[in-house]
Amino acid sequence: MSAEIMVRMHQIHKHFNGMEVLKGIDLEVKKGEVLAIIGPSGSGKSTLLRCLNHLETIDQGSIEVAGEFFAVESQNGQSEYAAATKARKIQGHMGMVFQQFNLFPHMTVMDNLIEAPIQVKKQKKEEILPLAEFLLQSVGLSDKRDAYPARLSGGQQQRVAIARALAMQPDIMLFDEPTSALDPELTGEVLKTMRQLAENKMTMLVVTHEMNFARDVANRVMFMADGSVIEEGIPLEIFGHPQQERTQSFLRNML
Amino acid sequence: MFQIDKIAQIVLPMLEGSEVTLQIFLLTFVFVLPLGLLVALGHIAKCRSLRFAVEVYIWIMRGTPLMLQLLFVYFALPMIGIRLPDIAAALLAFTLNYTAYFAEIFRAGIQSIDRGQYEAAHMLGMSYGQTMRRIIIPQMVRRVLPPMSNETINLVKDTSLIYILAMNDLLRVARTIVQREFDMTPFLVAGVFYLVMTFVLTWGFNKLEVHFARYDA
Repeated sequence: MSAEIMVRMHQIHKHFNGMEVLKGIDLEVKKGEVLAIIGPSGSGKSTLLRCLNHLETIDQGSIEVAGEFFAVESQNGQSEYAAATKARKIQGHMGMVFQQFNLFPHMTVMDNLIEAPIQVKKQKKEEILPLAEFLLQSVGLSDKRDAYPARLSGGQQQRVAIARALAMQPDIMLFDEPTSALDPELTGEVLKTMRQLAENKMTMLVVTHEMNFARDVANRVMFMADGSVIEEGIPLEIFGHPQQERTQSFLRNML
Repeated sequence: MFQIDKIAQIVLPMLEGSEVTLQIFLLTFVFVLPLGLLVALGHIAKCRSLRFAVEVYIWIMRGTPLMLQLLFVYFALPMIGIRLPDIAAALLAFTLNYTAYFAEIFRAGIQSIDRGQYEAAHMLGMSYGQTMRRIIIPQMVRRVLPPMSNETINLVKDTSLIYILAMNDLLRVARTIVQREFDMTPFLVAGVFYLVMTFVLTWGFNKLEVHFARYDA
């Protein structure tokens, strides 16, 4: 039995001012799978994630999300993303959590959660409230529903950001270094929330420097350096017996 | 008794003059807020020719004296067949001029909002319009209150320029009395009137700033 492929990126190339930051990346994520993308700063892992959800655009290659083409290569070799209406539908499959949280500072925690379902999905407030309350409870922040983000710690803000993304009921969650902006003692609570999500079989792509998380939670680990995938496999292989020299030296420095 | 009579003779016409001043000020202010926002959005739009048109407009409005613009609307437009009532001519000139300044304030405010806010809204599926209306502009308002307060106070004082259009605003009434009575008191009274107006505005803007600061840590 082969699980449904949720994300397929094929031969992704991306340039920034003449510099190639993604050099032909292939990537597949199945439904319910957690893929951790690790690698040194500047390896292109965040850019790859941002290309997947069209916060950046790829130059060449193709992207499929939930069985639909999001970006395809046209005749002239340049890739193009789907037109607005279709693009928005495909993006709706993906929720995103940012390094800097990016909560809406002028809205309470609860309003952050229900804003997009009301504006985008045209749901009524009463319809979305039960889910929003459930999500706040599962990230352990029910008591903060009427607080403004600036009153919360970084870890709390990031958990609200996760709940906010989940309120749109995505099929795939993208995490772009979700704990990198946090004080070390606050990363645990965010990782715990992400772990719960993985246990509930959410499809996840996680760009991270948290090696323990990658080892314990991910089904697969991808090591990137200089815009290329150096090595990929199950955590046991990557962390236990890395084959490539680059992977070995990276892990030596990280662990 | 004589004193009270005299004060009434000065103050009553000056109150009427203040009405003209306030009328011009309030109407201009009401027009300028939405127009300034529209022009600001035009200034940051993707469309190049729109951006260029906005830049030329702002350049002209900020680059020439308001007095010249007033005279142009009042005296030059009738020559090409556009004849406006006095108050409409004044309103047109003030609105055109102040829209440019407010647009620049709004533009700076919008551009000061972190890119992450757009990205978060985008990833939640919000359109450009929804992002602007619900996320960016509400945050922008708070940041532009101090410079807006400045420009609004300037506008109150600039309304005095309409005295050259023979409209009986506060300053012109004061000057008329001074010339008639050879008494400088009306100038002092006018000063006090302007101070009261700007005090009320300052107070109002401070209230707004406190209101919008509620979501700060």
